Amino acid sequence: MKNYKKSITFRICGLSFMVLVAAILGIFDVFFASVKIKTSTVFGFQCGLTLGLAISALPLIIRYKKALRSEEKLQLLFNKENDERMKVIKSKAGMPMLLITSSVMIIMAIIIGYFNITVFYTLVAAVLFQLLAACIVKFVYMRLI
Amino acid sequence: MKTKIKELRKQNKLSQEELALAVGTTRQTITSIETGKYVASLPLAYKIAHYFNLTIEEVFDLSEYSNEKELLK
Repeated sequence: MKNYKKSITFRICGLSFMVLVAAILGIFDVFFASVKIKTSTVFGFQCGLTLGLAISALPLIIRYKKALRSEEKLQLLFNKENDERMKVIKSKAGMPMLLITSSVMIIMAIIIGYFNITVFYTLVAAVLFQLLAACIVKFVYMRLI
Repeated sequence: MKTKIKELRKQNKLSQEELALAVGTTRQTITSIETGKYVASLPLAYKIAHYFNLTIEEVFDLSEYSNEKELLK
Protein backbone atom coordinates (compact mmCIF):
# COMPACT_ATOMS: atom_id res chain seq x y z
CA MET A 1 0.00 0.00 0.00
CA LYS A 2 2.99 2.28 0.62
CA ASN A 3 4.06 1.89 -3.02
CA TYR A 4 0.50 2.60 -4.12
CA LYS A 5 0.48 5.81 -2.07
CA LYS A 6 3.69 6.84 -3.85
CA SER A 7 2.10 6.01 -7.20
CA ILE A 8 -0.96 8.13 -6.34
CA THR A 9 1.26 11.07 -5.32
CA PHE A 10 3.16 10.70 -8.60
CA ARG A 11 -0.11 10.67 -10.54
CA ILE A 12 -1.30 13.83 -8.75
CA CYS A 13 1.96 15.54 -9.79
CA GLY A 14 1.53 14.39 -13.40
CA LEU A 15 -2.07 15.52 -13.59
CA SER A 16 -1.23 18.89 -11.98
CA PHE A 17 1.50 19.31 -14.60
CA MET A 18 -1.09 18.66 -17.31
CA VAL A 19 -3.39 21.32 -15.84
CA LEU A 20 -0.42 23.72 -15.79
CA VAL A 21 0.38 23.00 -19.45
CA ALA A 22 -3.26 23.65 -20.35
CA ALA A 23 -3.19 26.94 -18.47
CA ILE A 24 0.06 27.99 -20.21
CA LEU A 25 -1.37 27.06 -23.62
CA GLY A 26 -4.55 28.99 -22.80
CA ILE A 27 -2.59 32.10 -21.77
CA PHE A 28 -0.45 31.81 -24.92
CA ASP A 29 -3.56 31.45 -27.06
CA VAL A 30 -5.29 34.50 -25.54
CA PHE A 31 -2.40 36.96 -25.17
CA PHE A 32 0.57 35.98 -27.33
CA ALA A 33 -0.56 33.90 -30.32
CA SER A 34 -0.55 35.57 -33.72
CA VAL A 35 -3.71 35.68 -35.80
CA LYS A 36 -2.28 33.03 -38.12
CA ILE A 37 -1.80 30.59 -35.22
CA LYS A 38 -5.12 31.50 -33.63
CA THR A 39 -7.04 30.67 -36.82
CA SER A 40 -5.14 27.39 -37.28
CA THR A 41 -7.39 24.32 -36.94
CA VAL A 42 -4.56 22.21 -35.51
CA PHE A 43 -3.69 24.75 -32.81
CA GLY A 44 -7.37 25.06 -31.90
CA PHE A 45 -7.59 21.28 -31.65
CA GLN A 46 -4.40 21.19 -29.59
CA CYS A 47 -5.73 23.81 -27.15
CA GLY A 48 -9.15 22.14 -26.98
CA LEU A 49 -7.64 18.72 -26.35
CA THR A 50 -5.32 20.02 -23.62
CA LEU A 51 -8.16 21.94 -22.01
CA GLY A 52 -10.41 18.87 -22.15
CA LEU A 53 -7.71 16.71 -20.59
CA ALA A 54 -7.09 19.32 -17.89
CA ILE A 55 -10.79 19.55 -17.06
CA SER A 56 -11.08 15.76 -16.84
CA ALA A 57 -7.90 15.70 -14.71
CA LEU A 58 -9.39 17.94 -12.02
CA PRO A 59 -11.93 15.41 -10.62
CA LEU A 60 -9.19 12.76 -10.70
CA ILE A 61 -6.86 15.00 -8.66
CA ILE A 62 -9.65 15.59 -6.12
CA ARG A 63 -10.42 11.84 -5.95
CA TYR A 64 -6.74 10.94 -5.45
CA LYS A 65 -6.30 13.61 -2.76
CA LYS A 66 -9.38 12.34 -0.90
CA ALA A 67 -8.06 8.77 -1.16
CA LEU A 68 -4.70 9.81 0.30
CA ARG A 69 -6.48 11.24 3.34
CA SER A 70 -8.57 8.14 4.10
CA GLU A 71 -7.11 4.63 4.39
CA GLU A 72 -10.44 3.00 3.52
CA LYS A 73 -10.93 5.07 0.37
CA LEU A 74 -7.36 4.26 -0.67
CA GLN A 75 -8.07 0.55 -0.23
CA LEU A 76 -11.27 0.87 -2.27
CA LEU A 77 -9.43 2.71 -5.03
CA PHE A 78 -6.67 0.09 -4.99
CA ASN A 79 -9.22 -2.72 -5.20
CA LYS A 80 -11.02 -0.97 -8.06
CA GLU A 81 -7.84 -0.44 -10.03
CA ASN A 82 -6.56 -3.97 -9.45
CA ASP A 83 -9.87 -5.71 -9.94
CA GLU A 84 -9.15 -8.86 -11.96
CA ARG A 85 -12.53 -8.85 -13.75
CA MET A 86 -11.96 -5.30 -15.03
CA LYS A 87 -8.45 -6.28 -16.08
CA VAL A 88 -9.91 -9.11 -18.19
CA ILE A 89 -12.51 -6.75 -19.71
CA LYS A 90 -9.90 -4.11 -20.45
CA SER A 91 -7.55 -6.60 -22.05
CA LYS A 92 -10.40 -7.85 -24.26
CA ALA A 93 -11.04 -4.24 -25.30
CA GLY A 94 -7.38 -3.89 -26.29
CA MET A 95 -6.20 -1.82 -23.35
CA PRO A 96 -3.67 -0.48 -22.57
CA MET A 97 -2.06 -0.85 -26.03
CA LEU A 98 -4.96 0.95 -27.70
CA LEU A 99 -4.53 3.97 -25.43
CA ILE A 100 -0.80 4.06 -26.18
CA THR A 101 -1.32 3.86 -29.96
CA SER A 102 -4.13 6.45 -29.75
CA SER A 103 -1.90 8.87 -27.82
CA VAL A 104 0.95 8.40 -30.31
CA MET A 105 -1.44 8.87 -33.22
CA ILE A 106 -2.85 12.09 -31.70
CA ILE A 107 0.66 13.50 -31.13
CA MET A 108 1.61 12.56 -34.71
CA ALA A 109 -1.64 14.09 -36.01
CA ILE A 110 -0.89 17.40 -34.26
CA ILE A 111 2.68 17.51 -35.62
CA ILE A 112 1.71 16.46 -39.17
CA GLY A 113 -1.36 18.73 -39.04
CA TYR A 114 0.83 21.82 -39.32
CA PHE A 115 2.00 20.53 -42.73
CA ASN A 116 -0.95 18.57 -44.10
CA ILE A 117 -4.49 19.02 -42.79
CA THR A 118 -5.92 15.95 -44.61
CA VAL A 119 -3.54 13.61 -42.77
CA PHE A 120 -4.50 15.34 -39.52
CA TYR A 121 -8.23 14.73 -40.06
CA THR A 122 -7.59 11.12 -41.13
CA LEU A 123 -5.50 10.35 -38.05
CA VAL A 124 -7.98 12.01 -35.67
CA ALA A 125 -10.86 10.10 -37.29
CA ALA A 126 -8.92 6.83 -36.96
CA VAL A 127 -8.22 7.52 -33.28
CA LEU A 128 -11.86 8.39 -32.59
CA PHE A 129 -13.01 5.24 -34.36
CA GLN A 130 -10.65 2.93 -32.49
CA LEU A 131 -11.50 4.50 -29.13
CA LEU A 132 -15.22 4.24 -29.86
CA ALA A 133 -14.83 0.58 -30.90
CA ALA A 134 -12.87 -0.13 -27.70
CA CYS A 135 -15.57 1.55 -25.58
CA ILE A 136 -18.31 -0.51 -27.24
CA VAL A 137 -16.35 -3.76 -26.73
CA LYS A 138 -15.71 -2.79 -23.10
CA PHE A 139 -19.39 -2.13 -22.38
CA VAL A 140 -20.45 -5.35 -24.13
CA TYR A 141 -18.01 -7.40 -22.02
CA MET A 142 -19.03 -5.54 -18.86
CA ARG A 143 -22.52 -6.89 -19.42
CA LEU A 144 -21.34 -10.36 -20.42
CA ILE A 145 -18.91 -11.05 -17.55
CA MET B 1 -19.37 -22.00 -12.41
CA LYS B 2 -21.64 -22.61 -9.40
CA THR B 3 -20.45 -21.28 -6.05
CA LYS B 4 -21.62 -21.21 -2.45
CA ILE B 5 -20.48 -17.63 -1.90
CA LYS B 6 -24.00 -16.22 -1.63
CA GLU B 7 -25.03 -18.80 0.98
CA LEU B 8 -21.81 -18.31 2.92
CA ARG B 9 -22.27 -14.57 2.83
CA LYS B 10 -25.79 -14.86 4.17
CA GLN B 11 -24.66 -17.25 6.90
CA ASN B 12 -21.99 -14.79 7.98
CA LYS B 13 -24.30 -11.76 7.48
CA LEU B 14 -21.92 -10.16 5.02
CA SER B 15 -22.70 -7.78 2.21
CA GLN B 16 -21.07 -8.14 -1.21
CA GLU B 17 -19.20 -4.93 -0.58
CA GLU B 18 -17.78 -6.13 2.74
CA LEU B 19 -16.63 -9.39 1.20
CA ALA B 20 -15.14 -7.52 -1.77
CA LEU B 21 -13.20 -5.22 0.53
CA ALA B 22 -11.94 -8.16 2.57
CA VAL B 23 -10.66 -10.14 -0.42
CA GLY B 24 -9.37 -7.13 -2.37
CA THR B 25 -11.81 -6.92 -5.23
CA THR B 26 -14.96 -5.00 -6.20
CA ARG B 27 -18.64 -5.62 -5.47
CA GLN B 28 -19.29 -6.09 -9.20
CA THR B 29 -16.77 -8.93 -9.38
CA ILE B 30 -18.38 -10.68 -6.40
CA THR B 31 -21.79 -10.30 -8.12
CA SER B 32 -20.40 -11.78 -11.35
CA ILE B 33 -18.83 -14.71 -9.50
CA GLU B 34 -22.04 -15.38 -7.57
CA THR B 35 -24.16 -15.35 -10.72
CA GLY B 36 -21.67 -17.59 -12.50
CA LYS B 37 -20.87 -15.04 -15.20
CA TYR B 38 -17.23 -14.79 -14.21
CA VAL B 39 -14.83 -17.51 -13.06
CA ALA B 40 -12.54 -16.24 -10.33
CA SER B 41 -8.80 -16.62 -10.71
CA LEU B 42 -6.99 -19.09 -8.47
CA PRO B 43 -5.61 -16.38 -6.11
CA LEU B 44 -9.05 -14.77 -5.71
CA ALA B 45 -10.75 -18.15 -5.24
CA TYR B 46 -8.17 -18.97 -2.58
CA LYS B 47 -8.73 -15.60 -0.84
CA ILE B 48 -12.51 -16.11 -0.79
CA ALA B 49 -12.23 -19.68 0.48
CA HIS B 50 -9.63 -18.68 3.07
CA TYR B 51 -11.87 -15.84 4.26
CA PHE B 52 -14.61 -18.36 5.10
CA ASN B 53 -12.06 -20.85 6.52
CA LEU B 54 -12.92 -23.36 3.82
CA THR B 55 -11.14 -25.00 0.91
CA ILE B 56 -11.61 -23.89 -2.72
CA GLU B 57 -13.49 -27.12 -3.49
CA GLU B 58 -15.93 -26.41 -0.67
CA VAL B 59 -16.77 -22.94 -2.02
CA PHE B 60 -16.57 -23.51 -5.76
CA ASP B 61 -18.28 -26.34 -7.59
CA LEU B 62 -15.52 -27.85 -9.71
CA SER B 63 -17.52 -30.89 -10.83
CA GLU B 64 -17.86 -29.62 -14.41
CA TYR B 65 -14.06 -29.60 -14.68
CA SER B 66 -13.66 -33.08 -13.23
CA ASN B 67 -16.24 -34.34 -15.77
CA GLU B 68 -14.23 -32.74 -18.54
CA LYS B 69 -11.15 -34.54 -17.28
CA GLU B 70 -12.98 -37.85 -17.41
CA LEU B 71 -14.09 -37.15 -20.97
CA LEU B 72 -10.50 -36.57 -22.01
CA LYS B 73 -9.41 -40.01 -20.69
